[in-house]
Amino acid sequence: MNSPLFGSFGKPDTDEKTLGSMQRISLKRMQRFHDNEPVDYAIVGVGSAGGVLCQRLAKAGLKVIGFDAGPFWDTERDWVSDEKGSYKLYWNDLRITGGKDPLAFGENNSGKGVGGGSVHWAAFAPRFHPSDFRVYTEDGLGCDWPISYNDLKPYYELLEREMPVSGPAHFPWGDPHGYPYGPHPLGGVGDTLIKGCTKLGIPVVAGGPVAILSGSHGDRPHCIYRGFCIQGCKVGAKTSTLITHVPEAIEYGAEIRERSMVFRVSMKDKKRTDGVFYYDADGHEHFQRAKAVIVAGYAIETPRLLLNSACPGHERGLANSSDTVGRYLMAQAGNVILGRFADLVRMYKAPPAHALTEHFYETDPKRGFARGFAIQTVGPLPIAFAKQMMKAKGAWGWGMRRVMMDYNHWSCLGLLGEILPWPDNRVELAEEKDQFGIPVAKITFSLYDNDKKMIEYGKKTVMDVMWAAGAEEVVQESRYAHLVGAARMGNDPGNSVVDKFGRTHDVSNLFVCDGSILPTQGSANPGLTIQALAARTADYLISQGDKIFNSEERDMTTCPIRRNLAVKGAFLHGIPRFWN
Amino acid sequence: MVIKTEEVAQAPLRDPETQQPIAPKRQPGYYPGFSTLGQKGYWDEATRRLVEERVYTVPPIRFFDEEELLTITAVCNRLLPQGDRRSDYRIPIVPHIDQRLYENKIDGYRFADMPSDREAYRWGIRAIDETSWAIHNQPFVDLDPLKQDFLLKALHDGKPPIPHEIWGKMSLQKFWYLLIQDCVDAYYSHPWAWDEIGFGGPAYPRAYTRLEGGLPEPWEEDEERYHWAAPPDSISDIYEPGEDTGSVAGQGGTH
Repeated sequence: MNSPLFGSFGKPDTDEKTLGSMQRISLKRMQRFHDNEPVDYAIVGVGSAGGVLCQRLAKAGLKVIGFDAGPFWDTERDWVSDEKGSYKLYWNDLRITGGKDPLAFGENNSGKGVGGGSVHWAAFAPRFHPSDFRVYTEDGLGCDWPISYNDLKPYYELLEREMPVSGPAHFPWGDPHGYPYGPHPLGGVGDTLIKGCTKLGIPVVAGGPVAILSGSHGDRPHCIYRGFCIQGCKVGAKTSTLITHVPEAIEYGAEIRERSMVFRVSMKDKKRTDGVFYYDADGHEHFQRAKAVIVAGYAIETPRLLLNSACPGHERGLANSSDTVGRYLMAQAGNVILGRFADLVRMYKAPPAHALTEHFYETDPKRGFARGFAIQTVGPLPIAFAKQMMKAKGAWGWGMRRVMMDYNHWSCLGLLGEILPWPDNRVELAEEKDQFGIPVAKITFSLYDNDKKMIEYGKKTVMDVMWAAGAEEVVQESRYAHLVGAARMGNDPGNSVVDKFGRTHDVSNLFVCDGSILPTQGSANPGLTIQALAARTADYLISQGDKIFNSEERDMTTCPIRRNLAVKGAFLHGIPRFWN
Repeated sequence: MVIKTEEVAQAPLRDPETQQPIAPKRQPGYYPGFSTLGQKGYWDEATRRLVEERVYTVPPIRFFDEEELLTITAVCNRLLPQGDRRSDYRIPIVPHIDQRLYENKIDGYRFADMPSDREAYRWGIRAIDETSWAIHNQPFVDLDPLKQDFLLKALHDGKPPIPHEIWGKMSLQKFWYLLIQDCVDAYYSHPWAWDEIGFGGPAYPRAYTRLEGGLPEPWEEDEERYHWAAPPDSISDIYEPGEDTGSVAGQGGTH
C-alpha cells in the first residue's frame, strides 16, 4: 500500500474542529450563554447569511448566538469525497411538495449544519445586475426592490474580497467589474461552453466568477480540482461561512449552538419578541432569551418558522399581517443540457462551476418574454449523471449501463433562468409533523406563461451552444436550482414582510435575513447577494445600537459601510473597477 | 435472510458481429486495469473508511418481507442487469434499498401525489406481482427475463398492461423514477462501477492535474472501447424518454 502524500490526518477530539485541510479551531473556549441570559441577537440558522451576521455582530461587540439545526462540522472527519456519503449535508427532513411543477428539495437546494447551503453550493458567485432591482419599473412584471444596485455594490465588493471570488479580470455584464483572484484553469465542461459560445458569437467568460480559491489565502489552500464541490470542500478552497466567517465569529465571542432546532419565535407582548424556543440534540425543549431575533433559515424554513410561531395577536403567523409570509417563493429554471462528444471530456475534474455567459440576462423584447437567463457549466458526478440520463434519455437496464460506460464522453451545461415571483408559489404548513412534532412545510410551485416562454427559449439556446461545441448527441432534463423569496422585502407593509434592512414590518425587534427576503432573483446564483445583504443588515443593526432593543422607532437612513468588520485578510487583493 | 444477486443466473452480453457470448468479466467497461480502490492509499481516511465499508459490508435485509424480497430482487436484476459481470463481482442493489427504507432515510421531501417511500415500495411491488399473475398466471420472479422486461417497459412507458388500483393511488412515473434512482444510487456509488465507467473517484488530498482534453492522470487509464450487444432476453438497451414533466425526481444539486 502506498502512503498518502500528505500523511493521514489525526483524529481531533470533538471540541477541536478541522476546517479545510489547514485551519483548526477549538470550541473549548467558545462563549456559552445561559438560556436565561438575554443575548443581544438570537440568529436562527448559520448558513450563508447567518454566518456573516454572527461574525459581523460579534466583531462589533454584541452578544450573539447562532442556532443551527444541524451539526458543527469537522471537515476532515465528517466530509467525504463521495456522492452518496454526503447525504448528511442536506436538509432531508420531510417537506411536502406540490403544484403543477413541484420542486425537489434536500440535496438539490437545502443545507443543514453550520455553514448551511454554503457548504454544498457550487460557489458560482456572480452579482445581480442593476436591472434586477427595478424589474417592475422596466418590465411591468414581478416587483422592484426597496434598494438599488448601488446600495449593494459596496457590499458586493467587500464580500468578493472576503470569500474571496476568483474570476476574470474583466466581467462584462451588468455593472462591469473584475475579480480579486485570478481565473481557474478550464476543465472539459468549460471547454465545451467556450467552444460553443465562440462558434455562435456569444461572449463568454472562463475561470469564474466562483468563490473558490485560485491561489492560497491565509490558512486556506487553493483548489485541487477534485470536483466534489457540492459534496463539501474538504480542501478548504471553496468558500463556506463555516470556514470563512464562523471561526472569526467565535473568536469575537459569538456562540454557535449546533443541533438546536428553533421551532418558535416567542412574543413577549404583541409588539416585541423576547427570544426563541428550541429543541436540543436530545430533543429537550429550551427557551433562549434574546433582545432581538434574526431568522435566517432560508426560503422554506424561514416562512415555516414564522407560520409556526402564530400566537394571539399574530394568528396568521409572525410578521404575516399582510398574508405575504410564504408567498412569492422562487426557484430558478435549472435545466441541464447534456451533450455526447466523440472525444473524452472527463467532466468530474475541475469545479462544476467555472465558466458562464450572461449574454441573455436582460430583457430582449424580440424574444417575447420579460427578463432572461444565464448559461453555466455543470459537472455532474456519476450518480447525478445517471439520474439525469434516467430522465433525459429514459435510460434503464442495459441502456443505463451503456450510457454510463460513456460517462467520460459527456459534457453538461446548465440553464439558469429567472422565474418571476408569483403569489401562489408559496410555503404553507402541512398536516404532517416532523420528528419534533412540528408541522412541516407544504410547498406549491407552478410555472406561469412568462416562465414557460423563458425556459423554452433558454433551453433551445443552450442546446444550440452544445451542438455548436461539436456534440454528436444533445439531450436535456428539466429541473430547478436555488430557492429564494417567501418573506420578501419592500417598502409597503401591505405586500411585503420586511423593510429594506430586513426588519419585519409587524415586530420591531424581529428580522429576517437570508434568501427569503429577495423580491426577485435575476439569473445569478443567489449566494453572493445573500451574504452581501447580511453584511448590510449587520451594519444597520450595529449603527442602530440599543434602539433595536428598546425603541419602536424605525430609522430608515442607510449607514456607511463598515469595512473594518470584514474578515481578516480581506484586503490583500483589490477589486478591479471599470469606469464607463 | 440474504438473497444475493449473484446467485441468479443472468445472460451474458454478445458480440454484435459474431453473436457469440462475451464471457462475463471481473471488470466490464472500457478502462481495463483501472482501479479506484487501488488508489485508496492516497485518499483521506474518512473517505477510505466509507468506501471500504461499502465494498466489504453488505447490509442485512430488514425491511422487505420474503415475498417482497423475491420480487424486488427480480425487478432490480432487470433495472440494473449485471450479466456482463463475473458473479463474484456483481454489485449488491437490493440490500442498499432495504437499508434506506429500514432506516427511513428520505430525500427531504415527498410529492403531494405520492405516499411515503416505504409505502410506495410495498404498493409498487404488490402491483407488479399482481400484474404478473393477471397476465401470465405466474409471480413476477418466475417469469422469463424477456417477459419481465416487457412488463417493466410498460411501466417505464407509463402504460401499465392492466389497470391496477395502485396506479390510481400513486404516480406510476414517480414510482418508476424512485426505483431507478435507488438502483443507480447503489450501483454507481460502488468503486467497481467507478472503474467500469472510468470515473477517477476521490482525489483529496492528491488533486486532479490534467483538466482539459479528457486526459488521464498518471494513475488513470486511457479508454479501450469494445462493441457489445445486450442479451437477447432483454429489451432495455434502447432510449425512450418519457414526457418532460419537470422536476419529478430527486437530484443532486447542479449549479
